[in-house]
Amino acid sequence: MTAQVIEPAVGAVRPLIEVDAVRIGYPGRVAVERIDLTVAENEFVSIIGPSGCGKSTLLHVLSGLNEPLDGAISIRGREATGEVGSRLRAGYVFQDHRLLPWRTVAQNLDIAMKNAGVPKAEWTGRRARYLALLHVAEYENSFPMNLSGGQRQRVSIARALAVEPDVVLMDEPFSGLDEVTARTIRKQLDATRSPHDPSTVFVTHSIREALFLSDRVVMLSRGPARVIKEITIDLPRPRVYDDPRLVVLEQQVVAEVLQQWEIDTDSGEQP
Amino acid sequence: MTSITLAPPGAAAGSRARVQAALSAAGVLSIVAVWWIAGDATRFLPGVGEVFGSLPTFLSSPLVWQEAALTTWRVVCSLAIGFVLGTAAAVVMTRMEFWGRVVGAYVAIATAVPSTILALLALFIFRKSDAGVVFVVAVTTFPFIAVLLREGLRSLSGNLDEMTSVYRFGRASAVRHVVLPQVLPYALTALRNEYAHAWKVVVLAELFIINSGMGWQFSQAFDRFQLQRVMHWLLLFVAILLVTEYLIIRPAEQRALRWKERE
Repeated sequence: MTAQVIEPAVGAVRPLIEVDAVRIGYPGRVAVERIDLTVAENEFVSIIGPSGCGKSTLLHVLSGLNEPLDGAISIRGREATGEVGSRLRAGYVFQDHRLLPWRTVAQNLDIAMKNAGVPKAEWTGRRARYLALLHVAEYENSFPMNLSGGQRQRVSIARALAVEPDVVLMDEPFSGLDEVTARTIRKQLDATRSPHDPSTVFVTHSIREALFLSDRVVMLSRGPARVIKEITIDLPRPRVYDDPRLVVLEQQVVAEVLQQWEIDTDSGEQP
Repeated sequence: MTSITLAPPGAAAGSRARVQAALSAAGVLSIVAVWWIAGDATRFLPGVGEVFGSLPTFLSSPLVWQEAALTTWRVVCSLAIGFVLGTAAAVVMTRMEFWGRVVGAYVAIATAVPSTILALLALFIFRKSDAGVVFVVAVTTFPFIAVLLREGLRSLSGNLDEMTSVYRFGRASAVRHVVLPQVLPYALTALRNEYAHAWKVVVLAELFIINSGMGWQFSQAFDRFQLQRVMHWLLLFVAILLVTEYLIIRPAEQRALRWKERE
């Protein structure tokens, strides 16, 4: 096994998503200066960067919630800027669960599948599969508010997978959970990852989390963001969270981050 | 070492319910006691024994139930119209800048107009008809419904709105699964408040406008100084209100909001 730190990679053949020189912002503020990013089919890509650098904004663009100011986005080699939302089916896992609290776990998944156009005949099977995969099958008929925070987030991940997505977008999904719960879910995500799973773009500011889960990690600069480094992790799965190779790699990345993210020691912020 | 024993949550809830039931019973008994004393001390209030003694005869009359059903029907129709008007006003106030301000002014004025003035106005417009009674109750209740529903629409979650966009919810699906459940608690509060309000106003409207219904029966009994009969109608009025509140509205509310977090 090798874990390599490489310069920005050339995209794979006909990647699922190609983001080319995209600039994202709001009136009077540029959140992302320039992003070049490719996501291959079935690839797990993490995006790390300091708080407020525009990581979540990038996910909003990839889900079709926002439009870029400049640049182009292609889906499977075809220009799709301005219509990403309709061309790319996304499953989204937010920082908070964003389940419908007045609908049961099963209904939450069914409603998402119905709106995603998944045939009704497949609902029961997909629901059972993904709830079991995330270890929440027994809560199928419960209301979300009767579950713990970790269980709700598992259901949210199951919903994202159940809609038969082209890509799963995850925006710091474990930041609101306690460390033990977060580690358990990370471990399950890693252990159950197969080569046929949908592409995943995972935003986090936890370097170890990104290294543990990803095939590739994209490091952004302080905002307005740009890509400063890409790291390919070719460790076999399932992985061990405290694997010494990951620990060494994390140390290298932290050293890089200390230079690139220009830590403001007065603010007490840590990578 | 100190040990603490905690009662199981179910036992605590049961005990709390028993205390609440006992307090409610004590409240009702205190009203009966006050009535008893006042009945003995005054000539205008019939005694408890007399009123309850003749109550079965009163309740056995088909006319009583016909009049009660008529008034109930007027309340239901008026509230339905009040909800339609209130919902429309709330949507306009939330979604439209100019027309929202215009409708907001109408709602504010309607809130301030006394029901008695509305009843007199309805008498001129609709003469002695059911429409006049329904008009008074609907116009009295709709502004309060509109204000509550507007608050519900203003509190819609932006986070869930993002979720519905990402998961490509259609308009009908978003309204059914996301918007309506968020507005429902406000609608139920409006229903509970305005149901009681509507009953009080309908009696007044019937007294002014029409020769039927419980309000008119109140007025007839009072004009003939049949004080026992006034008390019978009053007891029936209170019973209908409380039975509907506790056997229909509150259970429906609990069922609709059963998803809320358990303590």
